[in-house]
Amino acid sequence: MINAMEQRENTLIIGQGVADFKGLFGTTLGLAERFPTRVIETPLSEDAIAGICIGAALNGMYPINTHIRADFGLLVFNQLVNLAAKYRYMFGGLFEVPLMMRMVIGRSWGQGAQHSQSLQSLLAHIPGLVVIMPASPKSILSSYEYAINNYQGPVVMLEHRLMYELEFESSHSVPQNPLFGSILENEGSDVTVVATSVMVVEAKRAAKHLKENGISVEIIDLHSISHPDHEMILKSVRKTGKLLVADTSWTPYGVAAEMNRIINESDPSMLKAPSVSLGMQHAPCPTAKALEDLYYPDVHDLVDAIARLHFGSENHLVPLPPKQSMTDFYKHFRGPF
Amino acid sequence: MSVTRGLLYETLRIRMVEEKIIELYPSDQIQSPVHLSIGQEAVAVGVCAHLLPTDWVFINYRGHAFYLAKGGPLPEFFAELMGKVGGLSKGKAGSMHLADPEHGIMGASAVVASTISHAVGAALASKIRGDLARVFVANFGDGAMEQGVFYESLNFAALHEVPVLFLCEDNGLAVHTPHNERQAFQLDKLLESFSIPYLQLDEGYDPEKVQGIAEKAIGQVRQQQKPVFLRIRTARYREHVGPGEDFSAGYRSEEQMNFWKSNDPLSNGTASLDLFRDQIAAEIDEALSFAYGSPVPTIDDLLTDVI
Repeated sequence: MINAMEQRENTLIIGQGVADFKGLFGTTLGLAERFPTRVIETPLSEDAIAGICIGAALNGMYPINTHIRADFGLLVFNQLVNLAAKYRYMFGGLFEVPLMMRMVIGRSWGQGAQHSQSLQSLLAHIPGLVVIMPASPKSILSSYEYAINNYQGPVVMLEHRLMYELEFESSHSVPQNPLFGSILENEGSDVTVVATSVMVVEAKRAAKHLKENGISVEIIDLHSISHPDHEMILKSVRKTGKLLVADTSWTPYGVAAEMNRIINESDPSMLKAPSVSLGMQHAPCPTAKALEDLYYPDVHDLVDAIARLHFGSENHLVPLPPKQSMTDFYKHFRGPF
Repeated sequence: MSVTRGLLYETLRIRMVEEKIIELYPSDQIQSPVHLSIGQEAVAVGVCAHLLPTDWVFINYRGHAFYLAKGGPLPEFFAELMGKVGGLSKGKAGSMHLADPEHGIMGASAVVASTISHAVGAALASKIRGDLARVFVANFGDGAMEQGVFYESLNFAALHEVPVLFLCEDNGLAVHTPHNERQAFQLDKLLESFSIPYLQLDEGYDPEKVQGIAEKAIGQVRQQQKPVFLRIRTARYREHVGPGEDFSAGYRSEEQMNFWKSNDPLSNGTASLDLFRDQIAAEIDEALSFAYGSPVPTIDDLLTDVI
């Protein structure tokens, strides 16, 4: 974002909290001082702000609109779905609406039902939107850069807050056009795991554990939820014959369902065992920690599910890592915000 | 809009286009719902008389009058309504989504109030960039004033002092529901609390009076680069959507409409319009032959411009 603000005078950063002392988990800190007319703190008016971004985009700006919780992003669905996503098509190519919506998935302890949702399936369902869930610093940087410099339509970035303070390396290259396509995060031969966002990080931990126990896991970071790399997914499942989808959201009508559609419409016989889906329990998120720990899948659940899928039995004898909630593992997080 | 042809000519031109649509509609050549501007033409003509080519209007599904008054081409208009490739939006927009960025017509939405904030955003962009003396018009009906985004947009425009004209075409109805069943606020007091100057005209049938008050409102936005609110009372002669009259439905009276028509220079016989009619009819015929001759889109067009 700093690069974009420096290099392109038409970049706007606009949203609630972008100029305050917390700076959206630190991601916008210091920018308001450097670019006072182009970093715009807003009233609590998500609907109008989204429309203002569309109007500014029609008038030559590149607005980056931020939502400190993806849940608040539901207030912009009219502008995003009815207008931004449709402006190119509905007007036969007369308009382009280049803009970015950053929505933060607020999951961590105690965030409850309205501060924790992962809305990728709702968004990726809509033609005209590009929906990205970055799972590494490299994919964030390359997606931002490409969207701001090369893409003329609306892009939604769903950023998982648990990853803001993580330091991790990803050695694998992102697609040439990082708004379209997926990332082969880990090569393996026994089971294909298609994962999104922070579940990619979890899948890598699970894969490491399983490798020590003789199971080779291939991990695909889905990355572009709206435009995943179908060929990469099909090629991997053709090789392993086993598919597990690990998503940050609910499984019905979601990423897991879409992965199964892609495979079934190509060649269902490539699956040598029924596919497995891991996601949130199909309920609103509970606040109580005891329930929340049961609500989200963790490394223990992932290792168990992959081992069962590999051996075709629940008596797989692979030692399981202790049941530990993800937020306990990512110790960086402190309440209360 | 061509200033030389005069306000009455332009108003009559839109009326005759709408009447042609009514005539053609039973033939099913226009397979798009039409929300006719008939009765409201003078508002668009009087306002656009004071807009420059660099000024932008953000309109809605009842947009025929603004499209034509701001300079949108007529042949492409008919082609668009007929779903032909020759329409500016290649037939994908139809009547409800007219646009022509070359003439500053920046899109029409069928979701009430949803382009008000676009005008505010475009004005904000101009202010940040330091464009000089441009005006951005948010055009909406009285029903839009009940949407949350209306208040959000007023607040933001006042807070950031951006050059927007909020233009309310008040025909007194949200589909079939009158003011008194919908609104509990007083507009003048609401705008006073935002310190947005408020102008109002009751004689929305009179293009001369509309252009008079529009000159004042637009001039103020252009000069001060701050928001102004203009409300113009007008009347929708036909049903909410479609070519017919619906006085038998009982939600409004024909007498009430006759009052407007008796003041409307296009209807009351006070103006000599005959000189204009032939010229306009010839223009319409020519535009229609372009539209008839334009090809229908094919499967090659179905998935273009999605991403």
